[in-house]
Amino acid sequence: MRQSSRLWPSFRRTVIALTALLGACIVPGNESAFNPAGPQAGRISTLWWFMLAAATAVWVVVMVFLAWAVRRSRQRDQALREPAGDASMQRGVVVGGALTVLILTAFLIADIATGRALGALPRKNALRVEVIGHQWWWEVNYIDPTPGRIVTTANEIHIPVGEPVQIIGSSPDVIHSFWIPNLHGKKDLVPGHTTSTWLRADKPGVYRGQCAEFCGAQHSKMTALVIAEPRPQFDAWYNAQLASARPPSNPVTARGQDVFLKSSCVVCHTISGTLAAGTLGPTLSHVGSRLTLASGSLPNTPGNLAAWIVDPQRIKPGTRMPSSNMNQADLQALVTYLESLK
Amino acid sequence: MTVARGVAPLLPLEVETVRPDPVAPQVWEEVELTDADQELRKELLDTWGDNPGLWGWLRSTSHLSIAKRYIITAFLFFGLGGLEAGLIRLQLSQPENSFIGPDRYNQIFTMHGTTMMFLFAVPVMVALALYLVPMMVGARDVAFPRLNAYGYWVYLIGGLFVYVQFLLNTAPDAGWFSYVPLAGPEFSPGKRVDTWAQLITFTEIAALVAATEIIVTVFKHRAPGMSLNRIPLYVWAMVVTSFMIIFAMPSVATGSQFLAADRLIDTHFFNHAEGGDSLLWQHLFWFFGHPEVYIIFVPGLGIISAIVPAFTRRPVFGYPVMVLALVTTGFMSFGLWVHHMFTTPIPQLGQSFFTAASTMIAIPTGVQIFCWIATIWAGRTRFATPMLFVIGFFVVFIIGGVTGVMVASVAFDQQAHDTYFVVAHLHYVLLGGAVFPLLAGVYYWFPKFTGRMLSERLGKWNFWLLIIGVNVAFFPMHILGLEGMTRRIYTYLPETGWGPLNAVSSAGAVIIVVGMVVFAINFFWSLRRGKTAGENPWGGETLEWATSSPPESYVFMYLPVVKSRAPLWSEGSERVVVGGLRSDVRDTLTTTLMDAEPDHRQSSPAPSIWPLMAAVATGVMFISAVFTPWGLVVGSVLLFFALFFWGWPDKADQAKRLAGESEATA
Amino acid sequence: MKRFRIAGDVSALPTYAFGNRNIHWWGTLMFMTIEGMTIAVCAAAYLYVRKNFEAWPPPPTPLPDLVIPTIAAVLMVLSIAMMTRVHVATRKMDLRGVQRWLVIMVIVGIVLVALRWFEFKALNTRWDSNAYGSTAWATVAFHSTLLLFEVVETAVFAALMLFGPREKKHFTDVEDDAVYWYFMAAIWVPLYVLVYVSPHFA
Repeated sequence: MRQSSRLWPSFRRTVIALTALLGACIVPGNESAFNPAGPQAGRISTLWWFMLAAATAVWVVVMVFLAWAVRRSRQRDQALREPAGDASMQRGVVVGGALTVLILTAFLIADIATGRALGALPRKNALRVEVIGHQWWWEVNYIDPTPGRIVTTANEIHIPVGEPVQIIGSSPDVIHSFWIPNLHGKKDLVPGHTTSTWLRADKPGVYRGQCAEFCGAQHSKMTALVIAEPRPQFDAWYNAQLASARPPSNPVTARGQDVFLKSSCVVCHTISGTLAAGTLGPTLSHVGSRLTLASGSLPNTPGNLAAWIVDPQRIKPGTRMPSSNMNQADLQALVTYLESLK
Repeated sequence: MTVARGVAPLLPLEVETVRPDPVAPQVWEEVELTDADQELRKELLDTWGDNPGLWGWLRSTSHLSIAKRYIITAFLFFGLGGLEAGLIRLQLSQPENSFIGPDRYNQIFTMHGTTMMFLFAVPVMVALALYLVPMMVGARDVAFPRLNAYGYWVYLIGGLFVYVQFLLNTAPDAGWFSYVPLAGPEFSPGKRVDTWAQLITFTEIAALVAATEIIVTVFKHRAPGMSLNRIPLYVWAMVVTSFMIIFAMPSVATGSQFLAADRLIDTHFFNHAEGGDSLLWQHLFWFFGHPEVYIIFVPGLGIISAIVPAFTRRPVFGYPVMVLALVTTGFMSFGLWVHHMFTTPIPQLGQSFFTAASTMIAIPTGVQIFCWIATIWAGRTRFATPMLFVIGFFVVFIIGGVTGVMVASVAFDQQAHDTYFVVAHLHYVLLGGAVFPLLAGVYYWFPKFTGRMLSERLGKWNFWLLIIGVNVAFFPMHILGLEGMTRRIYTYLPETGWGPLNAVSSAGAVIIVVGMVVFAINFFWSLRRGKTAGENPWGGETLEWATSSPPESYVFMYLPVVKSRAPLWSEGSERVVVGGLRSDVRDTLTTTLMDAEPDHRQSSPAPSIWPLMAAVATGVMFISAVFTPWGLVVGSVLLFFALFFWGWPDKADQAKRLAGESEATA
Repeated sequence: MKRFRIAGDVSALPTYAFGNRNIHWWGTLMFMTIEGMTIAVCAAAYLYVRKNFEAWPPPPTPLPDLVIPTIAAVLMVLSIAMMTRVHVATRKMDLRGVQRWLVIMVIVGIVLVALRWFEFKALNTRWDSNAYGSTAWATVAFHSTLLLFEVVETAVFAALMLFGPREKKHFTDVEDDAVYWYFMAAIWVPLYVLVYVSPHFA
């Protein structure tokens, strides 16, 4: 077909242009398996690049043979047709089959090796963090033998750089999946089962991950942040979290605490050091110290917090948190109070 | 197996090697009918034709009519599924888009998957087979024509049911695989998931019926001389597919009844608080779900094997290996299902087995690809639209195949699972491995169905738009997935950086839609204005090309005698046939399993309204079961009556049949 | 000029056939395979949820009764032997024999269905108690649909062979009914062992 031979050069150019464009679009970011920040994700990433190279080679080789076969058969003189090519065809298929087996075996070996490496992460003195998936937020509890040293927070997990962390996962409602691409693969949190994942961050940074198992209306907005920081900063953060929530220090925040304690907020939320001990929603004891609100849906700013409190359904339709109608002054005080809980 | 008395031996024992036929299709010679033939033809038309009008249409049991309806209905669902996809891509084309809210979005993506997998992909493949397989094996109809009609009506009723629910804002919304506990009674109140569970029942019954038809027709109704090693590769593919359906469908059907029971009558199959297990659902679903994708893909492989010979003017290389590859693929597909559960808390010990199996299944498919390439190499290739789509299959499917081997790795799957990487993979294999071959098949067999050719020019536009659109729409998803974009999200924040690639992907979706619009235009235009086609416009080698285009209701005037794998290429100036079947009743010939020696004759039942009535009763049974378990009881009683009238002999038909019969004993 | 060449004549072939020469036998085989897989799924679910329990059945559920289920299981096995009488009669095309034994089988079937009611009670649990109850009920209930279907089908064939417009090929259809009965009855044996007997040894 003469048309196709005219199309080939422009087709080739298009392929090259598209590849360049796509390459530019791979922005290794802070939610990317292409940008490993720890050994687990790093090993998987190595496996990935090997497999990509092999897969691309396979596809290219098959396309080349296909193109060659098409070209050859269209040039063939009709009269000289005979089935004598059977022997070489047989050879071709056998060689192709053998190469396929070899390449697939290489894939298997690479996978097994990666699997073993993933299991070999040193676990000594690991930080143990319990992650409990809820519809549509992450409950986080740092496990410590001393009850007074257990930290409870939500949606944002701080870990020390360079030290192993054990994530113990579970869910009381539906299946969720905890996944931080920069650090490791995902683990499904299946009700009735407890999971254990070991990882380590070797670079400080804020690593993002969305819930990776469809869990209902706001599955799209159930994001966890893992903040890896050097040990001293981690310790400082941890100790700050251990302390009770800051009591109000001025009339505005006092009013804000008052508004909080007198409204339905206490049914679902906890603020340590007060009578608010609800556990249906995330703890707010140190909500002011978080980077985001509503499980990663909004940056943590007073304006966003106000918007969230007034009408959560607008930001996360279907969320369990009801709207509230408080007057502007109360709202402002409440927001100021909550933001003071660092 | 004894050769029936009174029939002279017809069967040469060795397979003739078929020389590639270099003759161009335009000079294909059709059989000339003698006066006696014309007389017979009139009688056959009278016996095998449908009654006129709507009543005749409703009562029809002709596999030609049933299959055509089936294919058209399936393509309508394809269109609906495509619309749903379009809405998804529109919503995701920009970050924080407010085009569709989460509740509606969850219904739309669930309906997209459910429609494509249950209402389009499997039905269209079995429907094509219900049309072609009897012809390819030299039979006048499927083994159980009334059952065939029942299967179609059940499918139609199920599909209508779920779409009515969609209009009523009660479409299923827990994903096409409906994981518990989300899909359980506590977290999905209302009737959405119950609708899904019973839709499964309808589509599963229809698929099982079609599978039974295909298997029994191929085993027992082949034309004399079509021994097992002369069966066309497409037919082998459909037999393998049918066995997969038989073994896989019961798992999801039973599982979905368990889910319905958990929701309706408080059972605890999946309720971990009472000892049930969410993972049980996943096992039951994926034990079906993995073979399901091969049920969709293997027919595509069969279509490729049916088309390549016509366009390379030689048989596919390596017939025994091709058959073995199909059978191996079918078997192995049952050993992979846990790869859908690699990120769940199942014991790690077993996972490696499933990685190995999921990797190794690429071997039989790879061997088939090499055999096709060898066939092309050794043949004399000419290009028309069907062959373009075959090439498209190679290009697109292999990409999907290699990403499949990637996700077979447990370690890598931990990153890729439930992300857009998997969405990319599955669309590449489904579009490349099923839709491209399907479209190739449509362009190839359209003349047989309608007597007209599809436009080549529009066909080329269709092809190029589609192959470009598919790559633009789905390739970026590989990257998006590994950049953290999880599945089933209705929106995403701009900070994720996923905006640009999503916009590209949505643009690709637009190209796909344009391509499919071109297809639709081609289809409707060619129905009226396409070039007329004779019996065998492409010069194909299998028996469906030995019928008129479109086939008469009786399909074959006389049943052909088969002497090779490519009967039409080895027939020369005479078409060898058997005579002796009655033309005043719907007489069919049953042959032996291995060598297709004539064994006995059987009379096919006349058209009847009872299959439709039975399907309506089935509909009552399972639709009311969405609302109350007593629906099953009431429906069963109705079904009993419908089946009774379906099967109870009609005295008049019986008298006519017995009057003309010989006294031969079995 | 291409013409038909008629190379054989099948008009002398019989119009019915027994056993696996007959397409309905193959249809029945497919049906049995489908039902068999469904039963396997029920049994698999029963075994799968077992791992979620320390004691089986979970307290306070008592063990399943054995008396009536065992009687029914024995009768089920005996019914296979009785159905062979129907089978032999069909092969000989012995109308009287077929009629007599079909009526007997219908009565046996009704007894089995009646016993099945008590077998459900013998489970000593409800379908909505817990996963043990749900999977035990599912297994017995699913098999019950096979039993019921087969008794009804046998009754319809009895009516046909007694009163209806009979012809020779109906003997082959009754044979298919007999084969399906073998399947329905035989598959009950492992299910009986699984659901009624094995908890006593758990």
